[in-house]
Amino acid sequence: MNSMIMEHNMIYKAKLKKEFLKQKDGYLFILPQMLLFLVFMVYPVFEGLRLSFYNVGFVTKTFVGFRNYIELFKDSIFIKAVLNNLQFVLIVTTLSVVFGLFISTAVFDKTSKYMSFIRGCYYLPVMITMVAFSITWLWMVNPAMGLVSHVLNSIGIQNVNIMGNSTVALYILIVVMWLFNLGEAVILYLAAIIGIPQEQFEAAEIDGASRFMVIRFIIIPLVSPTTFYFVILCFIDVIKVFLAVHLMTAGGPNYATTTMMYLCYQEAFVMNNMGKASAIGMMMFVIVSLLSIIAMTRLKAKN
Amino acid sequence: MALKSQKIKRDKLDIVSNIVVLFFALINIFPLYWMFSNSLKSSNSITRMPPEWIPQHPSFDNYVQLLSSQNVISWAFNSVFISVLTTVLVVFISSLAAYAFAKLDFYGNKVIFVIFISTLMIPKDVYIIPLFKIMQNFNLINTRLGVIIPNVALPFGVFILKQFFDSLPNALRESAKIDGASEWTVYLRIIIPMAKAGIGALFILVFVRMWNDYLWQLIMLSKDSLKTLQLGIASLQTENVPNLAFKITGASLAAIPMIIVFLCFQSYFTRGITLGAVKE
Repeated sequence: MNSMIMEHNMIYKAKLKKEFLKQKDGYLFILPQMLLFLVFMVYPVFEGLRLSFYNVGFVTKTFVGFRNYIELFKDSIFIKAVLNNLQFVLIVTTLSVVFGLFISTAVFDKTSKYMSFIRGCYYLPVMITMVAFSITWLWMVNPAMGLVSHVLNSIGIQNVNIMGNSTVALYILIVVMWLFNLGEAVILYLAAIIGIPQEQFEAAEIDGASRFMVIRFIIIPLVSPTTFYFVILCFIDVIKVFLAVHLMTAGGPNYATTTMMYLCYQEAFVMNNMGKASAIGMMMFVIVSLLSIIAMTRLKAKN
Repeated sequence: MALKSQKIKRDKLDIVSNIVVLFFALINIFPLYWMFSNSLKSSNSITRMPPEWIPQHPSFDNYVQLLSSQNVISWAFNSVFISVLTTVLVVFISSLAAYAFAKLDFYGNKVIFVIFISTLMIPKDVYIIPLFKIMQNFNLINTRLGVIIPNVALPFGVFILKQFFDSLPNALRESAKIDGASEWTVYLRIIIPMAKAGIGALFILVFVRMWNDYLWQLIMLSKDSLKTLQLGIASLQTENVPNLAFKITGASLAAIPMIIVFLCFQSYFTRGITLGAVKE
């Protein structure tokens, strides 16, 4: 009897060991990625939260509690930055969705070459990189030698300093961001529309629907997952706008085009206020996390 | 490509729409033309008003001068180095993890994956300041390695590859295991060759992302010889450069490498965008 129990024990232990050995491969394979993830993604977020409660100078750190956050909310420049971000996000996203749908529904059933050509044209700003795109636009709106100034001069509007005007400068930035994001919208929507089964179109044709009706009542509802995905993507992409502001307006004129990320950069590396900068980062983290949660729950609901 | 059969009625509205589409397409193409044509002008004819729509004496002088007076070659090398190394590391490390999440059985597989992927949409920018401080502590400021490492930590690669691996059939893998192959062998000899398409798409996506990772490179690299191409060209805008044409020529130089990459790897790229997108 004893030997039977011992044998059972040994078999059981051997099974456990085999299970463990089988499991170890999984853990080993995910180890490098997880390690990097913890050290360079999770830890910084917590560290950011911690730093936001300090006044971080060159050498010393002093604990200041919520002072950074309070100062930010009282700062009119920060409020302006948040409002700017809001304008950026809402206008760029809406325009990109509307135009993305408009363009893709106009070209999806034309020849393959035409479709590729249009796709390429609209993706061009992304292809030449944001740096080159921003510089070129800055060049074009330059008051002394820019194209836009020349065109305005020739229709009688003299001495226009486009980037010197607070509102106009912001809108120029919005146009640049919009054109940049439009390319992605066109690509995503075209891919989605091509995936629509032919029967849908045939049924509509039998019912005698006009092109506009097909677009409005069949295509647009069917690509709504793409719309949802793109809206979230666009939101997150635009809310962290930095490059265009940095290169084209440096936040000006007079902080008129400042955004949260630009302010964060200024606080950290110009005013040497890493604590306050971390606070701005934390607030952006909350905003992005909320958007992310909305996206994830929607995805889960679908599955 | 557009299915020939997928046609719906074309009418006047359609023609007008396409005219509008073409008009805006031109608005997109024009800056590119303007950038190139200006880079070929001499610096006095650049500032001439009314502007020369077609350069009268086009020459590559600006390019020659720019390349010889600034660190452009170093900048380009840095961009390539950082982008390629990041991409290689991402492909390797994330494919290991993606394979484990997709095919291997271990306690906590689903939970860990869900937590990991839930951070997918969090951009680096929101924790970039503390990340900088951490890199300071590791003494990795002003190093290319410092720029690379935090980008390999992102869950993007795992997200894309796991979907891909999920769709790979198990048969080959199972028979290899019966023959006694270790997981490592299965990964190396079987899965990776099967996943070439997904890996290709990931490669191009990460490469482009890293090439354009401006803010992180800006705060990490202050030494001129270490700057990336985007960073260096951007710095030309604020400096007092002797030749005004440098600014627009610089933009052109910043644009050319990516245009070449896009033209050569088009198919990988379109596959990559839609892989990450709508999954029905």
